[in-house]
Amino acid sequence: MTLGKKKKFEWVFFQNLVLRQIRQDYLENITGFAWLILQPLMLLAVYAFVFSTIFKARIPEAEDIGFVPYLAIAFWPWTAFSEAILRANNSITANAALIGKVAFATEQIPLASVTATFIMHLIGYLAVLIVLQLMGTDIHWLFLLLVLPVIFLMWVFACGISLFASAIQVFVRDLAQILPPLMTFWFFTTPILYSSSYLPQSIQKLAQWNPMAWFIARLRELLLFGEMNFDYKSLLIVLFIVVFAWMSLRFFRRFSGHFEDFL
Amino acid sequence: MDTLVRIEDVSKVYPRVHKPRERLQAFISLLFGKEPAHGAKVLSNINLDVVRGQSLGIIGENGAGKSTLLKVLTGVIQPTKGSVTVHAKIAAMLELGAGFQPDFSGMDNVRMKASLMGLSAQELDERLDEILAFADIGEYIHEPVKHYSSGMVVRLGFAVITACRPDLLITDEVLAVGDESFQKKCIRWIQQYLEEGGTLLLVSHSMYVVQKLCQKALWVHAGGIEQYGDVFPVTQAYLAWHEKRNAKEKELQVKQSGDGAYYRIDHFTLADGNSEHPPTFAMGENLDIELQIFSPDDRPPVGVVGVVRADGTPVYGVVSDNEGAAPIKLADNLYRFRLRLSDIALLPGSYNLSAHSMDPEGMRVFDNRQIAFKISGDTKEVGYIRLPHSWLD
Repeated sequence: MTLGKKKKFEWVFFQNLVLRQIRQDYLENITGFAWLILQPLMLLAVYAFVFSTIFKARIPEAEDIGFVPYLAIAFWPWTAFSEAILRANNSITANAALIGKVAFATEQIPLASVTATFIMHLIGYLAVLIVLQLMGTDIHWLFLLLVLPVIFLMWVFACGISLFASAIQVFVRDLAQILPPLMTFWFFTTPILYSSSYLPQSIQKLAQWNPMAWFIARLRELLLFGEMNFDYKSLLIVLFIVVFAWMSLRFFRRFSGHFEDFL
Repeated sequence: MDTLVRIEDVSKVYPRVHKPRERLQAFISLLFGKEPAHGAKVLSNINLDVVRGQSLGIIGENGAGKSTLLKVLTGVIQPTKGSVTVHAKIAAMLELGAGFQPDFSGMDNVRMKASLMGLSAQELDERLDEILAFADIGEYIHEPVKHYSSGMVVRLGFAVITACRPDLLITDEVLAVGDESFQKKCIRWIQQYLEEGGTLLLVSHSMYVVQKLCQKALWVHAGGIEQYGDVFPVTQAYLAWHEKRNAKEKELQVKQSGDGAYYRIDHFTLADGNSEHPPTFAMGENLDIELQIFSPDDRPPVGVVGVVRADGTPVYGVVSDNEGAAPIKLADNLYRFRLRLSDIALLPGSYNLSAHSMDPEGMRVFDNRQIAFKISGDTKEVGYIRLPHSWLD
């Protein structure tokens, strides 16, 4: 037990960590920033081609909006979420040199990794929204003010999962192999490529408790339809995410003092 | 007195972490708030108070647990048992690298480290010149740290620490890496820091540095505190212990066989040509040599006799068992060889007669004795030895 002065969350250090992560992951090469937009754009094109041209997917409630904007609105936040978790998962092991030499609140490392990914993808998201507007999709810009708290909540959720994952990763290295397929599974079970109304009734009941489905639905409502549907279920989801994040931090701290022994 | 760090009954056992299975087990036990399965025990029941204004040197052989003690103290690792209470801003240089990330430039790392130690961006800007001047690594500051020499890493790491003005400075044998002038600079800085009331914890293998900088010393041995007190008695005791151990090791080397016994040369003589000292022989005389070897298991040992030039160049040597020569048993455990080098063909000069004792298998050398002797004579031949020769028509 180390008592007395607690390992503090250093703000300046955290900012530095985030900035450095951004530089390392996105700005290291000249095209890094371009790829940030291009890569999801290409994936979007692939999905759009496969689903709207080959599978002839239709979204009944978004007939006049079209499949591509419907997908794009959900696709970027998902990419941010998924990439943030996958990156943060390895962040503790990647920063072993720092952890072994200096005592500090280690949770700053995965949190900085998630934050950096979210910041960069948020920029990409704004660019996509502008492009959609220029292509003729009606974006409800005023609701962007409500989108930000939703994305913030998504960030909190990603932070929670990342704290769990990165702590486990130190002990069980296989997690890095298990996580990507799990995220893919999550991607396909979340109504991103399709509307939740496509799901069978029985699964729909279950799927509404998928926080990511809730996030995606809110983002579409706000930006594409200019609607606001916050009800008691939203409150429950918010409550769940806050409790989950708090638990994940406690979980992380239970292990963080022992990281050095296992790195 | 103002206690900055209090260590109470601290033990540290590194968990077993090699196999994935062990890591998983460790993970599960930690999840339920238990200690993971035990591996190597590095520290046991350490009690220590670090008081403000004190300078404490930590000494001990490699692997004694000094570094682990510092890591526990700084909070980098958690002790398995006991408690560590810290009431100070600590700056620590633990091993090389000082927590620098190799892929980033020196400047980035300085920014990182300074912010970790609680320096705001503004404070860092104010002190940046000071840091760069102290590190004195020139344009390398913009290069990735992985291209630095170890001395440069230490320079930069120490420079950041000087700017942070910690309550407690901890350094782990890092000053030894810097060059002479940088070491002096660091030592001057530390002395000034101590004069201004700073507190120091220093790990070093240089008793000179410890005695120069520290009032007190802590001798760590096998994970425990062997001795703690004023610097001079403790460092002297430590050095004395080392000397004793070295002597013991030497003894062990020769006593490798049996129950501490070995094949030792009891008696080695060269029958005097005349009574001069060293014994002097004319070319062509006979050298009569006697070698007595003690055999602990009473088996006949192997003897080696050779001639070496005074400068150490071997000239000639014979091994008894290669030539089928067996020693005569003089008494229990005592064997004797006699050897005659007849019509000695050595050219005039100073030589040594050298003898070795070996085990009966002729595998290991146990003992060695030398006798100096001279060959006299008038000859214009050159070299060490006369080869039989004749000039032909």
